[in-house]
Amino acid sequence: MGTMGRITLTVHADDNVATILDADIDQRKTQAGLPILGNIKFGHKVALRAIQNGESIIKYGIPIGVATQDIEPGEHVHTHNCK
Amino acid sequence: MTFQGYIRSSSQAGVRNYLGVLSTVALSNRIGAIAASGYPNSCLIAGDFPRGLQTQDAALQDQVLLQLACHPNLGAVLVLCHDRRSAEKWRSLLEHTGQRYRVMAVMESNGIQNAIDIARDHLSQLSLQLSQDHRQALPIDKLLFALECGGSDASSAVCANPAIGRFVDRHLTAGGSAIVSETAEFIGAEEVVARQSAHPEIADQIIDRIRLTEGRMAADGDHYRGVNPTAENLDAGLTTLVEKSMGAVCKIGDSKFTGCLDFGQQPKSPGLFFMDTPFFSPCSITGMVAAGAQITLFSMGVFNPSGNPLAPTIKICGNPQTVRDWPDGIDVDLSQLIRGNISLDQAADHIREKVIQTASGTITLTEHWGEGQFMIPRMLPCF
Repeated sequence: MGTMGRITLTVHADDNVATILDADIDQRKTQAGLPILGNIKFGHKVALRAIQNGESIIKYGIPIGVATQDIEPGEHVHTHNCK
Repeated sequence: MTFQGYIRSSSQAGVRNYLGVLSTVALSNRIGAIAASGYPNSCLIAGDFPRGLQTQDAALQDQVLLQLACHPNLGAVLVLCHDRRSAEKWRSLLEHTGQRYRVMAVMESNGIQNAIDIARDHLSQLSLQLSQDHRQALPIDKLLFALECGGSDASSAVCANPAIGRFVDRHLTAGGSAIVSETAEFIGAEEVVARQSAHPEIADQIIDRIRLTEGRMAADGDHYRGVNPTAENLDAGLTTLVEKSMGAVCKIGDSKFTGCLDFGQQPKSPGLFFMDTPFFSPCSITGMVAAGAQITLFSMGVFNPSGNPLAPTIKICGNPQTVRDWPDGIDVDLSQLIRGNISLDQAADHIREKVIQTASGTITLTEHWGEGQFMIPRMLPCF
């Protein structure tokens, strides 16, 4: 393990978040090499790039919500920063 | 592709040959439960069915209960009423349905024990008639599936729902039918509905229902995060209802809607149907089963126990942790899909295999636990 990085799924090319699909929360990067900020549980989302407050959160190629604060690449995206 | 099922006079196929005990009003539930308890092949259809419903709600309850009484998974039904007048109405309703039935009013008995004895006597007679029925090979396209999801998480959107979708694509191509419901869980998936409807008018009908539900959710000033998405959806990582909807809609695969149904409304032709229902699974499944669905395909991310006593529920899950923690509640393990070890087609094969077994008589884990409820929605206050 260790060097592989976390398994993520990006559903659509336009998405600015990906879904984490493993339970390996101690890993600090994705398989693609994106550094992950903090622990993100199975099924939760990680920001693929910087997202500004008020910008859409894009998954499935469509807006699923709006950022309620600036979000760093690699940050957990959920109810604390998206509505 | 065939399964071993029961052919009914309506030409519908049954996957079970239950001895139904339908309690038409909550007042007769207990006597119904006691009477049914002596019959292992019985299926008790009971709920908090009240008196005093306003016209449209009363009509819906009557219609749904009649359709449940005539469901193809019932080989016969004992209809329990409280009063004599209601029993008379039920006798005339059932007279030309082709269903084997007995009707009794509890108030026509002389004591509780006497009511139970009368009910058991009816059940004995019906049971004898049932024993004449035998399974025979029937084409799988005779099956109408209720498509449901519960405990949705990110795995639902990439495993269980798309695998059900692939199975549904094949089933519809073979001439079969399926219903998907839970109007609130289409909010945000309108573009998918528009793209995957056989005619623009069908898309318009479905999207109108979605708009009405969305309007009602917004109108009362409450906010529904924590209700839908539910608390367990949020814990599992789903953040918004749109995100949840986009996963839920994967249950229809690449198929196109051929109709839009009201709660419990029966499809008149084969195809894929949308049914306008509340999102709570025991309620939405009741609507689809009342419409004639013989089996429920139930996608799970985190665990959800619900099902329906009348239509066997096949629990399908792709979340490896749920599969590990709830082995006694999952019929189809698709955790190999998320690990990339099997394809979506192979996942759909697993579902088909379980469907054939279930339709031919193998009980599901939901049946094993005796899990399931009947719920009919109400729009207006009771008197």
